[in-house]
Amino acid sequence: MRLGRYKPAPGPLLGVGVLLLILGFLAAYPLAMLLYGSLHSTPPGTPGEFNLVGYAKIFSAHDASVVFNTIALAFVKTVLALGLAVLLAWIVARTDTPWRGTLEVLITLPFFIPPIVTAMSWGMLGNPQVGLINQVWKAVTGSTSSPINVYSYAGIVWHMMQYSIPFLFLFIVDIFRAMDPSLEESSRMSGASKLRTFRSITLILMMPALTSSFILSFVRGIESFESALFFGTPVGITVITTEIYNAINQRQGPDYQYATALSFTILAFLFLLVLVQWRILRGRTFTTVTGKGYTPNVMRLGAWRWVTFGFCILFFFVTVVLPIGQLLIGSFFRYMGFYSADMLTLDHYQSVFKNSDFWRGFRNTMLLGFLGATATMVLGSIVAYVSARTTWRGRRLIDAIAWLPWMMPGMVLGVGFLWAFAILPHSIPIYGTIWALLLAYVALGTPVSVRVMNGAYAQLGYDLEECSRVHGGSWFQTFWRIIVALAWPSFAVGWILTFFGIMRELSASVLLYSVGSEVLSVVLLKLWTNGAAEQVSVIGLMMMILVVLFRAVQLRFLNRRIGMA
Amino acid sequence: MSAILIEKISRHFGEVVAVDAIDLRVEDGEFVTLLGPSGCGKTTTLRMVAGLERNTGGRISIDGRVVSDAAENFFLAPERRGLGMVFQSYAIWPHMTVFDNVAYPLRIRRRSRAEIDERVAKALRLVEMEPYAQRPAPALSGGQQQRVAIARALVFEPSVLLLDEPLSNLDARLRAQMGDEFRALQKRLGLTTLYVTHDQAEAMALSDRVVVMQNGHILQTGSPQDVYLRPQSRAVAAFFGVPNILEAKVTACRAEGDGRFLLNVQGTGWAGVCHAAQAYEAGATIHVMIRSEHFALADARDVPKDIQLSGKVVETIFRGAHCSVTIDSPAGPLNVDLSSLAHIKVGDTIALRVEPGAAWAISR
Repeated sequence: MRLGRYKPAPGPLLGVGVLLLILGFLAAYPLAMLLYGSLHSTPPGTPGEFNLVGYAKIFSAHDASVVFNTIALAFVKTVLALGLAVLLAWIVARTDTPWRGTLEVLITLPFFIPPIVTAMSWGMLGNPQVGLINQVWKAVTGSTSSPINVYSYAGIVWHMMQYSIPFLFLFIVDIFRAMDPSLEESSRMSGASKLRTFRSITLILMMPALTSSFILSFVRGIESFESALFFGTPVGITVITTEIYNAINQRQGPDYQYATALSFTILAFLFLLVLVQWRILRGRTFTTVTGKGYTPNVMRLGAWRWVTFGFCILFFFVTVVLPIGQLLIGSFFRYMGFYSADMLTLDHYQSVFKNSDFWRGFRNTMLLGFLGATATMVLGSIVAYVSARTTWRGRRLIDAIAWLPWMMPGMVLGVGFLWAFAILPHSIPIYGTIWALLLAYVALGTPVSVRVMNGAYAQLGYDLEECSRVHGGSWFQTFWRIIVALAWPSFAVGWILTFFGIMRELSASVLLYSVGSEVLSVVLLKLWTNGAAEQVSVIGLMMMILVVLFRAVQLRFLNRRIGMA
Repeated sequence: MSAILIEKISRHFGEVVAVDAIDLRVEDGEFVTLLGPSGCGKTTTLRMVAGLERNTGGRISIDGRVVSDAAENFFLAPERRGLGMVFQSYAIWPHMTVFDNVAYPLRIRRRSRAEIDERVAKALRLVEMEPYAQRPAPALSGGQQQRVAIARALVFEPSVLLLDEPLSNLDARLRAQMGDEFRALQKRLGLTTLYVTHDQAEAMALSDRVVVMQNGHILQTGSPQDVYLRPQSRAVAAFFGVPNILEAKVTACRAEGDGRFLLNVQGTGWAGVCHAAQAYEAGATIHVMIRSEHFALADARDVPKDIQLSGKVVETIFRGAHCSVTIDSPAGPLNVDLSSLAHIKVGDTIALRVEPGAAWAISR
């Protein structure tokens, strides 16, 4: 009988109070400021009156087409990405395709590449005039028409998919693995064929997880900013995030009220989506995931396994090798699109290394990455511990507030913080400093960090803590020597995920930066806008080296540690 | 002085009463087992002694020192009670070696390095795990983890050892072996032990005293022989196997020297003597418990004062160690364990006698 647990800890009331204050400032306060700003007639920090003009502007034919674009693009992208992700996950988890372990690493790699880097790279690869793919096509076929134009609806969808497929793959491959093989075996024993079993047992059992993956990916699609910014804006395709961005950054007089009203509306829409997801999933989670390590049924494909192998390699080639190859090529030639031997140069490397903007952006990104990832993970660890491991009053509220930014697109949170910082008294000069960015990153990263640490704590039995207490360890000694010591591999994994998140973040950064506090992604965007595609290639490559480095550390070192624990 | 003194402790979870005002005294060097079905409050009681759960009523003292008193709102944190404990899951910390696991209580107590080395080696030697000291903990089998958990609980020589179903995760053969080993160790070191289990055989084999619990109450406390052969109530009797309980009328009653009473009883189709904890008047209706293994096939030389019963065999099940036979007798159906060599078929009519001293009158 373990109905209740005695969990003595120092100062629960104080602890809950401090957490509520921090999380309230990070999540609840910018949310409230969105509502305030959407009703306020003038820009943040200036006197004005309250009216509904912002909301009135949303009801226009232009905005209707923007909303339609957003939803249609996100929907098409999600359907295609989910289909491909299921296929890839099935190949890796359930077939005898050769070198599946390596394939898994290769397939998930695009998830860690900042979308701004692939966007710029595809901008060069798929440019209808000078794009590398089109040039090769023309050279090989002798035709004069360009088959590929990334500046289109298809280009936007394709770019979003490169990020979505590995993201969904990471979820789905685990679901395939966690399924009890006897569920399928008993279907086969009842006389069903392989295909029939897959259709009426495997897929149906995965439906709840697939549904939630679908909604999650759809939400991410609506929040997406880079794809539409790079491939939509030049040809007049606008989605909600780029509309917000344009209203603030690209007009003669920034229309804050309209942008904020739009932000608040999209937030309300996303909130509804999340509610729908909870509704759908409640009571429909077949517990196929039991935490047991199963050896899944592996299908023998015969000669076909080389086709599946080739398919995975093709995916890796198109999503990683092509864009990175383009960056390499682009960085060594004098002008983008003119690839002949006499154009080879190292000038771009020199000019990047001499460029003080680059170094400032690099320093800022590194500083914010280290500080932000550390702060986010510490906060997430504490929130997860309080909500999962104590019986403190108010722990559910803390958990809920920490979860709020999960459904806020970076752009929307950025708008919220714009208002939040502007309203603060002048004695707290956060606005325009890199601390503004730090706060936004921590807010955006906290939901994931809480999730990661919750998972880590869930694996640690209460006995491990209690045993330490009985044998003489105080609350603090137990927390340090047992909980922290056992949970740190998850902490490190979460830290790296958060670091990646900060490195690729663009939509909040682009709203909250000011001169001196640019981060790398903002520097990249500025250079791209000025037409310095060659220097962009150099910086993109640097970021890729960082990605591969961190990812290798994570795979080699941390996974082994977790496997041991 | 009692090593553990529990006075009227209770544990309420809102409306639910998990433990209801129980009293218990564990003497120095004694092995006491809390036995009961799951949900009876035995683990909660152990956890209140450990300090992992707060008693909502009553007082707990260890070695004459009060560690928890609900009336005074006094409550000593678990780490300040100086106990050793073995958990059901063993709670071996997976990020440490065997040595580090066992050394933990000493390191917390800031003992010198030399002392730690010496004590850990000694504790590991006691449980025959010395060669494994540098193994990472996850590389151990269940039985080895159990030994490490015991070594860790013993290493700082606590005055009291608590064990929460320590054998339940082991397979049957290992369970018996580890139980016997632990009992030998406990006797050798004179450890005061409070042990929780739901396994009656384990409780019988290990304990000096068994505390039978149900629904947060203590039903009976006594030696293994007491609770098995002389249960105070039907519930205690029924907790160990499937006893035969026959209705009978008392025809005579006389006191025996040891505080018990000898009854002459008359049942339906049988008569004989049985022992009782209290006196009954002639003519009173009582229930007589006879354990299934205390029957034997009757033969002509049997003393007539032994209880004798006969009936028709309804079912036989060969179990290896014995043969379970169900017999339809005038006194009702009987569950009887006979020698596995006995040739008994369904439909036979057989005569049985009850071994002398086996019949026991249950009052409740």
